[in-house]
Amino acid sequence: MSERILVIDDEKAARMSFILALKDTGFEVDTAESGEKGLQMKNDAEYDLIFLDLKMPGMNGIETLRQIRKTDKKVPIYIFTAFHKEFLDELKIAQKEMLSFEVLKKPIGADLIVTLTKLILGQPEEAEEASYV
Amino acid sequence: MYEFRLYLYISGETTNSAAGAWSVKSLLNEAFRGRYSLEVINVLDHPQRAENDNILATPTLIKAAPPPERRVVGDLSDKEKVAAALGLTTDKEKQETPRHPESSQ
Repeated sequence: MSERILVIDDEKAARMSFILALKDTGFEVDTAESGEKGLQMKNDAEYDLIFLDLKMPGMNGIETLRQIRKTDKKVPIYIFTAFHKEFLDELKIAQKEMLSFEVLKKPIGADLIVTLTKLILGQPEEAEEASYV
Repeated sequence: MYEFRLYLYISGETTNSAAGAWSVKSLLNEAFRGRYSLEVINVLDHPQRAENDNILATPTLIKAAPPPERRVVGDLSDKEKVAAALGLTTDKEKQETPRHPESSQ
């Protein structure tokens, strides 16, 4: 059974970038256009990896993370955001609440989406490079 | 001057990447007996440094010295895979590597 990935981002272009990048990898990729929708999808299905945008209207990334962690403390959640201090300072709120997450830098190209996804899911032999420079 | 110089970028102390830090430290302590330096850097506290080092995701482990630089991203829990990805030969592996027999005349 192939791994399932959920991409939660209010921007369609961002969701499509993940779909297009991962379309030939064998992973199942679902997308959600809001934190609320993403939470609903997470509650309805099991995912092996979640990519979560930080800045979203309505239920933002932090709140979505908070809600997901109420029922699933193990699924890897990668919050993608620009590595700007103002954005990363928001993530310190989640850090103080002991919410587990990783960060993925925005923007990111298709090749690296594939490589990083395979590495995150523990498939270094299949990644183009087990490590990258 | 340490023989191995490594940097580990994480996203906090309570995350999977922090658990990876423990695994990496364990690997280095077992294999290199204090001949290394490992600096753990929280991306949230040092975003500019993460930018300067071209960090794209956490956790990222960088072997800066000796050259060549190598990076490992993602799951750091498998010590053997991490060591292989970094191109590290442990002391144990050096001991187990058979020596070439001396040529006889």
